[in-house]
Amino acid sequence: MNGSRRARPDGATVAATAAALLMSLALAMIFFWVPTDIDQGYSQRIFYFHVPIALTTYTLFGWGAINAARYLWKREPSLDLKSYVPMHLGVIFGSLTLVTGSIWANISWGHWWFWGDTQLTTFLIIFLFYCAYFMLRFSVEPGERRASYSAVYALLGVGLIPLSVIGVRVAQRNELIHPITFNSNGANMDTSMFLTFLVALAAMLALAVTMYLVELRGKRIDERVRLIRRLAEEGAA
Amino acid sequence: MRAYRALLRKDLLLELRGRELVPAMLAFVLGALMLVRFGLGGETLAGGTRAATGLLWVVVVFTSMLALVRSFAPEREHGIWDGLLAAPIDRAAIWAARATATLLFLVITQLVALPLFWLFFLQEGRSPSLPVLAAALLLADLGVAMLGALLAGMASQVQAREVLLPVLFLPFSLPLVTVAVRVTVDTISLQPSGLSAVQGLGFLALYDTIFGLLGWALFEYVVEE
Repeated sequence: MNGSRRARPDGATVAATAAALLMSLALAMIFFWVPTDIDQGYSQRIFYFHVPIALTTYTLFGWGAINAARYLWKREPSLDLKSYVPMHLGVIFGSLTLVTGSIWANISWGHWWFWGDTQLTTFLIIFLFYCAYFMLRFSVEPGERRASYSAVYALLGVGLIPLSVIGVRVAQRNELIHPITFNSNGANMDTSMFLTFLVALAAMLALAVTMYLVELRGKRIDERVRLIRRLAEEGAA
Repeated sequence: MRAYRALLRKDLLLELRGRELVPAMLAFVLGALMLVRFGLGGETLAGGTRAATGLLWVVVVFTSMLALVRSFAPEREHGIWDGLLAAPIDRAAIWAARATATLLFLVITQLVALPLFWLFFLQEGRSPSLPVLAAALLLADLGVAMLGALLAGMASQVQAREVLLPVLFLPFSLPLVTVAVRVTVDTISLQPSGLSAVQGLGFLALYDTIFGLLGWALFEYVVEE
């Protein structure tokens, strides 16, 4: 018994606490502190949700691809889960990016969707690719083959993303209307706006890390329960 | 290299004797072009519009799908996979042979499809610039064949393969078609796209290089025992 010793908080608890604090701070800054944009007015505040969500999506897809490469290299089953979970979360965050982007587009440009815009089109291609990833994953029986196929397809995405960016930019040049927030000279916005953006980004990343750790733990428990059930059935037989 | 040549010979001989794929692809191209022609209510696209070029590339992609869905079908149906995997050959040779065979089938189909396309849609327009059009089609076919061989290898060992392969392949065809349409617009239509042929063909070559390298490196993980 070690009742007097306090258990150390695990990673998910720390991440969840950080996410809650940062999210509260971000919401307070977005709605009560940051100045209203002169051009777009109050609706520009959706920028503090849309862009951090989009960047979190790319981070999740990147993390999933890194773990896919690591799986093919080391063949550890845990790396397959570490590749799948960020992809799953990436699709959720990607859906939110498309929804918030459409709302912003409708307010700013008067259209829910604009095919001439490079970033929108590229993001949709990438989103479609990751939807196909799930179709593949759930078409194969769980096991080594499923893990290998998922990893191979995820790595093909690493080739597709730069090609989509270049291809759409090459083909649709001169039609760019997406606001350029960051360029080679740095952030193209007021200091308070940039600070709010950074806090919102940190909050979104912390939320993603929390969801990643919780889902990973859930999947591991699920695997163990399946194993115990299988062993129990074998024992009964 | 010997394994590659032997496997390619096997794929071509199977097609030559069975005549399963190329006739079906030719019939599909004819049907698809007629469908588009009638689907437009008989309106001619002569004079050349971007839409005409887009239609050509949509037909090219869907014809490719037909070739890819049947890729590795003999291996699966006649139990050739086990023999191939047991053979002491580089797995990448299987991928390269299948990609080459698919490329040849696509080129043969397009040799028929292009004159048909001109006949159906462009008679009254300007004559196409054949070198650029041929280079774009060849580069696009190469990319489709190399990437398709990898994806078809995966799909061939999955239950819902006929449904799954188009779903896996279509996201990859989007950047290809986006640029290919632009680069061929100038060769067919009177509306300039503003994209130089070298830039467009360069992108298609980059696409081929990336997916060629990925296909070559990753195929061994797709056909594990």
